[in-house]
Amino acid sequence: MLSSYAQKGIGFALPLIVAFLLSGVLLVIIGENPVKIYSMLVDESFGSSRRIAATLSASTPLLFTAVATAICFRSGAFNVGVEGAFLIGGLGAVFCGFFLPVQLGLSIIPIAIIFAGILGGIWLYFPGYLLAKFEVDEVVSTLMLNFIAIAITGYLINGPLLSPTSGNNVTPVIHDVAKLPRLMPPSTLHGGFILGLISVLIYGLWCNRSSSGFESALIGLNQRFSRAVGISVQKTLILVMVLSGIIGGIGGASHGLGQLYRFSDGFSPGYGFTGMAVALLARNSPIGIIAGSILFGALASAGTTIQLFSDIPLDLINIIQGTVMIFAVIEIARLSLRKKIRAEL
Amino acid sequence: MIFEQIIAAGMILTTPILLTAMGGLVNKQAGIVNIGLEGKMLSGAFAAVIISSFTGSWLLAVLGAAFIGAIIGLIFSFTITRAGANMIVAGLGLNVLLAGILGFVLNWSFNSSGTLRMPNVVLLPKVLPEEIQIIPIFGKVLAELDPLTIFAWLTVILLPFLLSNTKIGLWIRVTGNAEKVSHSVGIRFKNIQDFSTVVAGFFSGLGGAHLALFSIGLFNEGLTAGRGFIALAAFYFGRDRPVATALACLLFGFLDATQIRMQTIGLPPKLIGMIPYLMVLLALIISSIRKHQRTAK
Repeated sequence: MLSSYAQKGIGFALPLIVAFLLSGVLLVIIGENPVKIYSMLVDESFGSSRRIAATLSASTPLLFTAVATAICFRSGAFNVGVEGAFLIGGLGAVFCGFFLPVQLGLSIIPIAIIFAGILGGIWLYFPGYLLAKFEVDEVVSTLMLNFIAIAITGYLINGPLLSPTSGNNVTPVIHDVAKLPRLMPPSTLHGGFILGLISVLIYGLWCNRSSSGFESALIGLNQRFSRAVGISVQKTLILVMVLSGIIGGIGGASHGLGQLYRFSDGFSPGYGFTGMAVALLARNSPIGIIAGSILFGALASAGTTIQLFSDIPLDLINIIQGTVMIFAVIEIARLSLRKKIRAEL
Repeated sequence: MIFEQIIAAGMILTTPILLTAMGGLVNKQAGIVNIGLEGKMLSGAFAAVIISSFTGSWLLAVLGAAFIGAIIGLIFSFTITRAGANMIVAGLGLNVLLAGILGFVLNWSFNSSGTLRMPNVVLLPKVLPEEIQIIPIFGKVLAELDPLTIFAWLTVILLPFLLSNTKIGLWIRVTGNAEKVSHSVGIRFKNIQDFSTVVAGFFSGLGGAHLALFSIGLFNEGLTAGRGFIALAAFYFGRDRPVATALACLLFGFLDATQIRMQTIGLPPKLIGMIPYLMVLLALIISSIRKHQRTAK
């Protein structure tokens, strides 16, 4: 028997190997040397402290969205609505950042973050409640809520919250005191990264050391059994959805207060979905989430610079991400394992 | 005059959603929720523009787009039915992957980012002579009528019959309703599901072709603008029934057509754009609550 660590390792490595093989083939087709490109990617993302900082900065939003996704996935709730919570929370935090009086000073930051968390939590409370009480399919409801979040934020930043000094689709810039500190200037790595790591840490402790974390994993494994031993499946489902929304919302706050300082169209280029790829790749494990976030952060940051210096289109990153998502859920690896176990019996 | 234009624009904007929704509906009836419709539409649009430019034939372009959609559908289906992938994640992944591949090809072989303009793209022909415009109210719609729109509405009319009176139609419905039963009566339900996903791909490809070849004749990365998801919303709202789904598509198409005009009277277009999604949410809630009450009794 393989240990669970080895199994997780294979689960992490396999989709990546397939993705890099596929994109490698594409690179060969367009006449590039994949080994050269990949080593260039590694160099661009980890070659110097400045590049490492850029990589970690790009991985920051993914830490949040991956944790938020994992919280639900391990309970068997297919929440694809982290993107929406991220947007709503982000706009809420940015709103606090420019609307609250400057005199509040540094306390604006915690207020904004808490406000974002509350907004995100409420946002996903609805589909959670509907799922728990009426078995409303959470995939479709959260998917629809994503589009609704895009529409609402898009409307607000074009209407009531539009910056008076600039053109379209953007809020005013937040006060200087509301900005999260930069950790390694001149890079954009900011305090949100620490917050993200803390979220992963708390998530790990919650999974392994708390009764609600244990119960929520149990309902993901077997709902009937959980019910039989007295776990409220309904309450747990609502809990994980709300927690997911809170983390997603705080992620938006970190991005708004630390990275962009304002909310504009395209605030999130799909962080919710990349976070989903990370959570799937990590099979919901905290260490895997950190590794996966840094990996995708590296791809994003190195991909942008590499596009400047070579003919490699940035879309290669999307190809890798899409392949990872598909192959992370394909059960070939597990199937062959199951067959082996059956053969042993 | 404005009225006529809205009807015409509404009909035109309905067609791509309608085609895609019909495919997705068949897929859903066989038990597969296809989140990858958006990516297949985009691929269809891309193929249509290129083939139309190279061959100068709209028919070949449309068939090529449908073929590309169907092939992608088949591969996608295999990941679900044979390799046990979760259909939701695989569908979302497929959208990301296809957008990546299209962007990559666009960037590398056509050296443009985002938009593909090709010479001599042949657009969809108009079926009826232009003089038909003089008919009041519906004249403009009739003058704009293209073969794909006719095909889409023919599908709406024929699909209920096909689903309830043909062998394959019944197999599809059995598979979707009770996979195990279909298996035990000897239906190869995996093959049926593959077939239905190919159908979904075929129709999404057609939908994409209509988007690209109705009037603009070029490809853009944002061409579909979430229409694959609107189609998903339509057949969820129509509860997988062809006629009800078609009516939902019509509604969404007209909302899209009036969106620009609403803006001029002060209604924010972004909020109008969210109506389809809100409607699905409401429909989903209502039907689930009803089902819940029934089982509670």
